[in-house]
Amino acid sequence: MAVAAARELGEESGLRRQRRLGRQASPGKPRRPKAGEQIAAWTFLTPGVALIMLFGVAPVIWSAVMSFQRNNLFSPNTPFVGLANYRQMLHDPIVGQAIEHTIVYTALFVPGTMLVGLFLGVAMNRPLKFISVYRTAAYATIAISTISEALVFIWLFDPSYGIVNYLFSLVHIPQQQFLSSPSEALYVIVIMTIWGWTGFAVVVYLAALQGIPQVLTEAAAIDGAGRWATFRRITLPLLSPASLFLAVWLTINALQLFDEVYFSTSGGPLNSTTVLVYYLYEQAFGGANFNFGYASAIAYFLFIVIIVITAIQFRAGRRFVHYRS
Amino acid sequence: MRRHWLGAAMASALVAFGLAACGTGTPNSTAGGLQIWEGYTGAEAKAFTHLLDVWNKAHPTEKVTYLYVDNDDSLPKLLTAVKGGSQPDIAYVYGSWAPNVAQIPQVVNLTKVVQRPGVNWDDFWVGERDVATVKGEVIGIPALVDNLAVVYNKALFTAAGLQPPSPNWTWNQFVADAKKLTIPAKKQFGTAYVTPGSEDTVWHWEALLWEAGGAILNSSNTKAAFDSPAGLKSLETLRTMAVTDKSMYLDPTDSEYANLFNSGRIGMLVTGPWDLSGFPSVKYGVQIMPSFPGTSGGHQTISGPDNWVIFNNGSKRVAAAEKFLLWMTATPQATYFSLHTGDLPIRKSVEDSPGFLQKMDQALPEVDTFITNLGNVKQARPQIPTYPKVSTILGQMIVSVLLGKSQPQAALANAAQQVNQALASGSN
Repeated sequence: MAVAAARELGEESGLRRQRRLGRQASPGKPRRPKAGEQIAAWTFLTPGVALIMLFGVAPVIWSAVMSFQRNNLFSPNTPFVGLANYRQMLHDPIVGQAIEHTIVYTALFVPGTMLVGLFLGVAMNRPLKFISVYRTAAYATIAISTISEALVFIWLFDPSYGIVNYLFSLVHIPQQQFLSSPSEALYVIVIMTIWGWTGFAVVVYLAALQGIPQVLTEAAAIDGAGRWATFRRITLPLLSPASLFLAVWLTINALQLFDEVYFSTSGGPLNSTTVLVYYLYEQAFGGANFNFGYASAIAYFLFIVIIVITAIQFRAGRRFVHYRS
Repeated sequence: MRRHWLGAAMASALVAFGLAACGTGTPNSTAGGLQIWEGYTGAEAKAFTHLLDVWNKAHPTEKVTYLYVDNDDSLPKLLTAVKGGSQPDIAYVYGSWAPNVAQIPQVVNLTKVVQRPGVNWDDFWVGERDVATVKGEVIGIPALVDNLAVVYNKALFTAAGLQPPSPNWTWNQFVADAKKLTIPAKKQFGTAYVTPGSEDTVWHWEALLWEAGGAILNSSNTKAAFDSPAGLKSLETLRTMAVTDKSMYLDPTDSEYANLFNSGRIGMLVTGPWDLSGFPSVKYGVQIMPSFPGTSGGHQTISGPDNWVIFNNGSKRVAAAEKFLLWMTATPQATYFSLHTGDLPIRKSVEDSPGFLQKMDQALPEVDTFITNLGNVKQARPQIPTYPKVSTILGQMIVSVLLGKSQPQAALANAAQQVNQALASGSN
């Protein structure tokens, strides 16, 4: 305790010293770098900035322009159509369905992955035999490519030859159509992607769990808190920064779901797994539609939705997240 | 010292820009060689590079170099290249993209080229010529042709006590055979259908529609024509197998059906010659498509040809590209390519050359039926930029019937209304 207190004191005095020095060095405004330093800094930055401009910013701006055009990329004739592409979204029934599927998917996938990840993370955060084997196994789901993952799940859930229906038949559950059924396919994709992202969530939670000082849980135990109370009152709040990170990160990824849909169902059957990003891909490249203007408008709509949701999550995070300080 | 690293950083920035901006070479000169983008792999790649070597030896000033570009991805890459002014001289382009590709200003009009003496344009199959022609202008030279026929498992037919299908069989027979070939306990299906709702779903049905005497659109491509007795007959035939008899394995992945056929789980498949090499484990036969008796359609099939397209990089390079393509697709080279790859001959004269069919069958058993079936390609899909939209609507219609979600008549009417709307509002 004494050591920690001393360290804290030390840090504090150091900070104060820095502040004082800073004030002395630059009364008023921060120091302006010399011209030579400016050039040097920009020279170092130029290659990176150039690449980001070229492959990041330029396409982003170009697609913004395209979203106001009728553009199929073939014809040099690209008339400006104002908000027509955005207005078309309002009247496109498949956009409505795609938004609904995206919301349902996100609402199931994000909490699902976090719960499974939390459960496995807590289960693995103790000295078990072969613990590294379990941890590697959980992490392996990230290392496996999406295509292999989709192919395995297609076979697991094959209506006629899949192992899931076989297991169902053993316990007399009626045979399901899974990916071939418009009412079940989306849920199979939820299961598939939760499996795929679990490793990621486990790693994040494990790292956060190891950062929780034992003194706190021990103190709680001495105070008479049971296992569940300790978990709820100590562990869970201290995991909240990790939870916020996962919620934001998984939500962004869920809203951009594409690979698993592309490889397993192509948005079908009957558009039942068409999510926004898959639909905009379809409009741009799939089936030779070449509606690049419309696809760009959908992309920008999604972009704005993601920004808004992320902002809400961070704002909500202020209330629920405990940073140790 | 400082100047030293400053220079290095500037140079790396310049390289980054330069890489993105580099083009195909000297404008309007064949120096450095023509560039061709193609997506051949395996035996096709071997045969193609052999032919390139032959050409390059004979034409040292008009050499052709190739760049492998996956066919599925070639269009985005082409569009990007065209925007940057670095398009190749020749590219392999899917036939279904033709009406859209024709809008690229750099695409060379070949209408007069294919009329040159010795080209013998009519020697290409009518299905190929249709797909290479957009609004009366020839924009491509046929690169590949295929068609659909019925591939069946001989052992399963014998086990079910069925006669193998004959060339004059009917869809009623197909449905009855599929029912007999279905054994639920063994997880064995009479036939299969691909149901991703993509063009692959659609063109299988279009063959049935034409055989029943129907048409996709009216003759001026302005209105739907498939909501007809022929449309109903074709959809009901599929529905009987998928919904009533449950003799049809529905494959949303568009790939598993081939594995299932190869492991003896499926009796008959309507598919193309590209699948044959994937069936080494079963003894299969090939028969042309059955017909609907009492209709005007007879035995037909559908073809999905692809094109070589030339891009304008200056008149000298265009002239050299034309010369090369005409050589590449002439009878001797086309014969060599088919015999070494098992691909169907792109010219009628190749099929007619003595001993050709036997040699093909040695390489790929029963492929000769697909070759003679090329004569049954009597119609092409509408060559309009709106076709992809039409196809999407038809795909949903077919899948909804096969999944038992809607009745054929209602599905047809609903799809026809959507297609009419799409046609009226134009290509975008």
